[in-house]
Amino acid sequence: MLENPGWLFVGATLLPLVSFLLLLIGGRHWGRAAGWIATAAIGAAFVLSLIGATLYLPYSGWFAHHHHGHHHSAGHEKHEQHAGPAQKAGHEHDHEHVTLAQREPGVPPWQGGLIWAKVSTGEPGQATGLRLGFYVDGLTVAMFVMITLVATLIHIFSTGYMAEELQDEVHDHQAHVVRAGRYPRFFTYMSLFCFSMLNLVLADNLFQIFISWELVGICSYLLIGYYYERRSASNAANKAFITNRVGDAGFIIGAAILWTYCGTLTLPDTVREQRNAKGEVVRVVEPGLFSRLRMPATDSHGTPLPAQLDEYIGNFARVEPISERSSGDAATRYRFSSSGPYVLLFTADHFHGEDLVLDDGISASTSPSATGLSVMPYWALVLAGIGVFLGCVGKSAQFPLHVWLPDAMEGPTPVSALIHAATMVAAGVYLVGRAFPMFTSEVLLVIAYVGAITLFVAATIALVQTDIKKVLAYSTVSQLGFMMLALGVGGWIAGLFHLLTHAFFKALLFLGSGSVIHGCHHEQDMMKMGGLYDKMKITALTMLVGVLAIAGAPLFSGWYSKDAIMVSALSFVVHYPQHMLLFLLPLITVAMTAFYMFRLWYLTFTGEPRDEHVYEHAHESPAVMTVPLIVLAFFSVTVAWGWPPWDAHASALEHYLDHEMPIYLHPDPDNRQVDKFLAPVRKYAEQPEAFPNVQLPEPHALAGLLALLSAGIGFLLATTVYYWGYLDPEGTRQQFASVYDFLWEKWHFDELYRWIAVRPALVLARVCRWFDLNVIDGLVDGSARATVRVSQWDGKFDLGIIDGLVNLTADVIYAVGAWLRNVQTGFLRNYVLFLALAAVGIFALVSYILALVG
Amino acid sequence: MNNVGLTQYLLIGAVLFVSGVVCMAIKRNAIGVLMGVELVLNGATVNFAAFARFHDAFRVEGQIFALFTIVLAAAEAAIALAIVLNFYNNYLTVDVDSAEELRG
Repeated sequence: MLENPGWLFVGATLLPLVSFLLLLIGGRHWGRAAGWIATAAIGAAFVLSLIGATLYLPYSGWFAHHHHGHHHSAGHEKHEQHAGPAQKAGHEHDHEHVTLAQREPGVPPWQGGLIWAKVSTGEPGQATGLRLGFYVDGLTVAMFVMITLVATLIHIFSTGYMAEELQDEVHDHQAHVVRAGRYPRFFTYMSLFCFSMLNLVLADNLFQIFISWELVGICSYLLIGYYYERRSASNAANKAFITNRVGDAGFIIGAAILWTYCGTLTLPDTVREQRNAKGEVVRVVEPGLFSRLRMPATDSHGTPLPAQLDEYIGNFARVEPISERSSGDAATRYRFSSSGPYVLLFTADHFHGEDLVLDDGISASTSPSATGLSVMPYWALVLAGIGVFLGCVGKSAQFPLHVWLPDAMEGPTPVSALIHAATMVAAGVYLVGRAFPMFTSEVLLVIAYVGAITLFVAATIALVQTDIKKVLAYSTVSQLGFMMLALGVGGWIAGLFHLLTHAFFKALLFLGSGSVIHGCHHEQDMMKMGGLYDKMKITALTMLVGVLAIAGAPLFSGWYSKDAIMVSALSFVVHYPQHMLLFLLPLITVAMTAFYMFRLWYLTFTGEPRDEHVYEHAHESPAVMTVPLIVLAFFSVTVAWGWPPWDAHASALEHYLDHEMPIYLHPDPDNRQVDKFLAPVRKYAEQPEAFPNVQLPEPHALAGLLALLSAGIGFLLATTVYYWGYLDPEGTRQQFASVYDFLWEKWHFDELYRWIAVRPALVLARVCRWFDLNVIDGLVDGSARATVRVSQWDGKFDLGIIDGLVNLTADVIYAVGAWLRNVQTGFLRNYVLFLALAAVGIFALVSYILALVG
Repeated sequence: MNNVGLTQYLLIGAVLFVSGVVCMAIKRNAIGVLMGVELVLNGATVNFAAFARFHDAFRVEGQIFALFTIVLAAAEAAIALAIVLNFYNNYLTVDVDSAEELRG
């Protein structure tokens, strides 16, 4: 087990599950200990993740290669770990290459797993099925450390924040009920969530991800509805769950399409042990989705594919059927075409490079095949990508499914911090990053535009919100939009980099708001706060760190990741100028982000107290809550630092991720597998000097400067209005009343959905109710009445015929008996007479019979 | 007289039997009924004796059954007389028609 450190991460995943099961069985009796168990479990998971990360570091981009860095082309060797099947299957030119099957288990990516539901493929020796497996690469390691660290801190914070749930009687002032405290239940759900979330990151196949996807969804539902006596909370829980169903339907459709055409849901290549004809155990490479979908650089025998195929290598090999079929050949033959309606799917072995360039076309089947080439329609691949992305849209609260996340703030604040800011809502971004190689250029554009619309819409709504948690919720939606946009424009590193930094500062901001809410006795309206700086200095200062980080102030972590995103977006629009919006929208939104975040901070902590009652009773939170704030604030500043810190593009975390990027995104001259759609974008982002005809300043400087300028404008505006008070926000509001109302009503999305989804659903429900009451119930009642009628007839038959026959027998016998009574006269002489007559009769009869016989 | 054979004996037995049965059927006096019973038994005894005399197969058995019948008649007469006396004690009559409690 220790030779494969991937098991450490499996252990880290299972620890919260153990805690969940323990708490499920006995938690309700343990009171405060329940919180300690859950915290200990996630803390131990953090320690395991840290050990795993330490073991991973020697293989990471920091140490494994001599040249790494943003401006350097990533070396050839680094691709080895993400190589397609061809590279793993052997390499003539480089003897240092080891195939996936020969690789030591201690060399990452650490893999393992088993097939728990076997499906026959109809071919001997081939088994496919649903896998339960783990795949630990650098991205997994980073996610694990982030999730377990943030979760541990939030668990510690929760032991303080949820303390009043320890009482036997809790007064819920919003629902106006007195109920029993539910402290252990909170930690039970939190443990289940941690397990599900870690499993989601650990999984190596889409089906296991989907299971975890639903598990985190149910945890989110349970925790949003934690105060279920409040109608708003239970409605919010339902809204979150139902909105996510829309996305998950897309996810399952996308997965089903991939399963149908590719025969597998496993993302990376996996190794399976099986016996060959001689009975020896051999390790067989099974291609994952990526290897099947994207054309490898070499064939299964290690020979590089012919140069004429360069256009397709590393991309989706689009083919078109050759119209004239050669007689006697049933299988359709295909030839390459850059706009062909089909995509060629590849196998780990059994294909030769020369087979692809035959004059009479390529032979391929239309069903998934483990031993030969097959094809799938290109539109199905696009649909699968959009379907999987739709799942991410739901989970990461992207337009148009973003409406659930602000309502989800009904849950306890630590839940908002952990699930609805740092981890679960980032799962959609993570999955887009993880499944990146399966997205076609059309899907990528959809992702980019969805992200751009989301980040802009959410930021505008956040400008006018007055509930402190609602501002943070819309800010989360907006930041997730930034990540999606980055991924859509090929900024794989930027998107996931921002995911990691955002997790820290957004968890910090939510916990800070939780501390404010806790200190103000559950007051969430910023209009009733103000001047709280004197009362809660630690909370105010740590939150200021979070505000600076999210606004993108230099040297704070958000600065590095937001710069990376802006560079990616700029590089994209330089090459595809028709998509100019993809750069302009985030640029404007950076200013809005700075504005609404500083507005939040000024309204809460500075100025005159606007509500004396709240101010009088406000107090700083206990150490168990402020210490996690300080730790998170520390990471919010430093997590992205590199050397030198003042260089926005020297971030160590960014370079770490650089090494984990899918091979298809590396724009090196010797990387034949680069994605043709994104190659110029990535090349421009990394080597702008190679594009002398682009009349623009160096993209990093330009994008960084514009973003900083934008954020500065937002900061100045917020300071002018809310700190110096030069502008009266009330007057501005009245001047732009229609705009304000539009934003206050959240662009009327809720009304829109009420009209297009909720109302029709209610009408449909009423129709169904009518149908149920009249038709279904009518049928049931009718059958009941018919049964009664039949029973009545049956009863009559039973009473009349059956009982009648029985009674008739008795009556006849009674009548015979009554008649025979007359013979019993009681007179002795009559008996004698009968005897004599009977004797004579018998004699006469016997004589008669004898006479007849004789 | 040499032609007196089995037939004549059986005739006498039959006459005795029928006389006894008629006596039982028409007498209302219990004693008279008893006498009829004796006649019937004696008719049977004559038959046994006659078969013992005229049929080699019943040489011994006929005589033994005749003796049994005589003993049976004596026992029956003793029991029947006891019943009659009891009946008389209860009803102060020996009229068998007044003994009708066994009527169905």
